[in-house]
Amino acid sequence: MSKPQIKEYNCETGEEIIRDASAAEIAQMALDKAEADAKKAEADAKVTAKNALLSKLGITAEEAVLLLS
Amino acid sequence: MAKQTFTTGQVLTAAQMTSLQQTAMLGGAASAKTASYTLVAADAGTAISMSNASATTITVNTALFAAGDTVQITNLGAGVCTITAGTATVNTSASLALAQYESGTLDFTSTSAAIFIKGAGASAASGGMTLINTGGTTLTGSSVSISSIPATYKNLQLVIQNYRPATDTARVAMRINGDSTANRNAQLFTFTNDNAPFDDTNVNLTGDTDNGASNALIIVNLYDYANTTTWKIGDGFAATNNPTTPTNITYRSYKTFYNQTGAISSLTIYSTSGNFTSGTAYLYGVS
Repeated sequence: MSKPQIKEYNCETGEEIIRDASAAEIAQMALDKAEADAKKAEADAKVTAKNALLSKLGITAEEAVLLLS
Repeated sequence: MAKQTFTTGQVLTAAQMTSLQQTAMLGGAASAKTASYTLVAADAGTAISMSNASATTITVNTALFAAGDTVQITNLGAGVCTITAGTATVNTSASLALAQYESGTLDFTSTSAAIFIKGAGASAASGGMTLINTGGTTLTGSSVSISSIPATYKNLQLVIQNYRPATDTARVAMRINGDSTANRNAQLFTFTNDNAPFDDTNVNLTGDTDNGASNALIIVNLYDYANTTTWKIGDGFAATNNPTTPTNITYRSYKTFYNQTGAISSLTIYSTSGNFTSGTAYLYGVS
């Protein structure tokens, strides 16, 4: 399996290189993906809980906003 | 005209007198350079202009100049021109980097040392934006890093056009100075917050994005990025194609904070999942 590619642009020299990601960078990518997935799951769970509450109350999101204004 | 030693009884030509007059009146044509250049002894007392769309250097070596010699350097090109100490010592109270239309004078204090006195930029550069990564940088692979950002501007603005991920619902994130340490970043979506923790390792630039369309526009501003005494602040907003209904937008607007005091010298833009399919990043220096 090919390694992820990293592009680097140096503003001082104008040099641009593309290289394979190092083991440390690949490990960081896995951490970043896990963190992003966790944040997404948390946001999705909030939306689900909010929708469940609105359904239980029998009102729409707009009506909930009106209620709290 | 270049510095020279006149001899007793020497007859000056009209051209020499005109050149001397121009030098005395701080006028005359500059010696035009279009590529990185190493100063030579004949440059003493002259003006040099640099013009190149990419970054260049002017190198200063020892044993070429005497105390009191001066060399004026003006950068006409879009690429930053940096005064570089070769074998000589070059000190300055400002920056050795000249952005477009900036100018400065090397004032030699000995044969091996000079002070670089940077003047104000021309009015055309004031308040303007300079594209730092010439031509923009195409987003490929899974991560793109823009490094050696010159510290010569007030603010930075990063613009990413037509971003499209290879993986549906992926996002773009940004890392400052390659720093992935925990609790260095905070990102807020509210107008005010009196007690916000630094709880992130990065800045999320977008929400979930479709992998089949590429109408995205992402803009991030980083303010006073080169100072070395304060935390860094920025803001941004982004419109990307919604992954469920690509004709709708996924919209993000935020303030971002980084709790380190070092100057920002590199930005890493990366996909939270998979590779980039398209996109171009433009990094501007705001004067």
